Amino acid sequence: MPEVDAATTGVGDAMSGWLKGLLQTLQEFTEQSARAFRNIVARPFYWGDTFLQMNLIGVGSLPIVVLTGFFTGAVMALQLSATLSTYGQIGRTGQLVSLSLVRELGPVLTSLMVAGRNAAGMASELGSMVVTEQIDAMRALGTDPSKKLVTPRLLATVSMMFFLTVISDFCGMLGGFVYSTVVIGLDPTQYWYSAIQILGMDDVVQGLIKPLVFGLIVALVGCYYGMNARGGTQGVGRATTQSVVAASVLIIVSDFVVSRLLMGFGG
Amino acid sequence: MAGDMAPQTQAAPAATAAEEPVLVFDRVSLSFGPQRVLDEISFQLRRGDTKILLGEAGAGKSVLLKLALGLLRPSSGRVLVLGQEVGTLSEDALFEMRRKIGIAFQESALFDSLSVRDNVGFRMLEEGSESDDAIEATVRKVLSFVELEAAIEKMPVELSGGMQHRVSIARALATQPEIMLYDSPTGGLDPVTATTIVELIMKLRDQNKVTSLLVTHRLQDGFLLATHVWEDGHLAPAPPEATHTSFLLLRDRKIFFDGSAHDLQHHPDPYVRSFLD
Repeated sequence: MPEVDAATTGVGDAMSGWLKGLLQTLQEFTEQSARAFRNIVARPFYWGDTFLQMNLIGVGSLPIVVLTGFFTGAVMALQLSATLSTYGQIGRTGQLVSLSLVRELGPVLTSLMVAGRNAAGMASELGSMVVTEQIDAMRALGTDPSKKLVTPRLLATVSMMFFLTVISDFCGMLGGFVYSTVVIGLDPTQYWYSAIQILGMDDVVQGLIKPLVFGLIVALVGCYYGMNARGGTQGVGRATTQSVVAASVLIIVSDFVVSRLLMGFGG
Repeated sequence: MAGDMAPQTQAAPAATAAEEPVLVFDRVSLSFGPQRVLDEISFQLRRGDTKILLGEAGAGKSVLLKLALGLLRPSSGRVLVLGQEVGTLSEDALFEMRRKIGIAFQESALFDSLSVRDNVGFRMLEEGSESDDAIEATVRKVLSFVELEAAIEKMPVELSGGMQHRVSIARALATQPEIMLYDSPTGGLDPVTATTIVELIMKLRDQNKVTSLLVTHRLQDGFLLATHVWEDGHLAPAPPEATHTSFLLLRDRKIFFDGSAHDLQHHPDPYVRSFLD
């Protein structure tokens, strides 16, 4: 059966090639990430570039994060109140909205929004610099592109993701509050009291650790695909798409892992 | 065409040092995966020499410049720049070595988010070792050399292709390099602008004794450099030995020809003839 053997060999070669490619990508990603971390404590420090990126990522992402957070909270109140009313527990709407937002939806949705906007932005900006030889020019002029371009984006994304998540959580609870009081007719004090009272320290810690992890993913993935863009403008487009897809998938996967770890530590 | 105010280069070397090659390729090969890009390339440049790299598209000419700059490391063989073996240097040591080398990229590679002033002064601004006034003075001096001082406030997107190439050369000159690498500096330019760039390169060679490695597709640029010198602010015909300029032709990843303009023009090989024609 020579045809079957040939087909099997072809599939084996393809699998082997795919696996090698994956391992090579992982190796390059790890090396680039390690370099970006090392540069945090290596001179020169690019504080100006870091603050510029904080402005672009933090302030720039504020409108989409506020809108996403607000309407996520509102739609949760809408859906949950309908279910809770069948059990006569509509007064607990605030509890469920705040718990879901702070533990899960706030960090994840904020990170997905920031990934869509900023991982894509980083990949396209750095990718364009690669294909127009600006990155080579930077190295030729004695500047480490990782230090000047990647590390500031890493620091800016991680720090801004934290604050954006806090803002998103608050806006979500506000959205739930507006729907609960205006449409359902819940007492405002009851909503806020139940929403805040239900939150324990472990919920808040979990909700604030996740954006730090997701911020790392967004920055490192966006910069990795940008710095490794090849093949002209088409390559930049490909890098941009891949960065958003990879960052989004990694956020969802790491959300499960981090949740499991933190719940494990919390008992 | 060019201004009188040439930027100063490094101090003239002693006579003995002048004999030492500043750039050596010793049996250099380079592969990307299974694909071999350069095969056993060997040549050397002494201080003040200019080598013009010719070859078909994809022959590995630009890659050769990147090897000289340490942006790529050879798969085998040695690249020696100013006595240092590039392949053995750490990335930090390479950044220091690159201070002595300037490069003008094929597409200029100006930072499009920075003005001409910040592009030209980029390395000095990054190092932070000079005052703002000193940086401004140096930037104006090199821009004056390429006759673009008036464009100091402009952004790269506001410049024509030829102007971008001249700013790129000015940026490379800002830290007084001992070696200049040019990657198709006249590519895509009209003949008048191309001649302006070639005159700049010639001025650097003849006034400042900068060692140069130049990739070009325009044979006329190469022959102009090999047969003329910059004298008293003008082009003047000169014998080949006065120009210190030679040619290197790449074919099938190897050196096919290495010699003077005269030897190239009179080479009997059909490939060279067809290349020249």
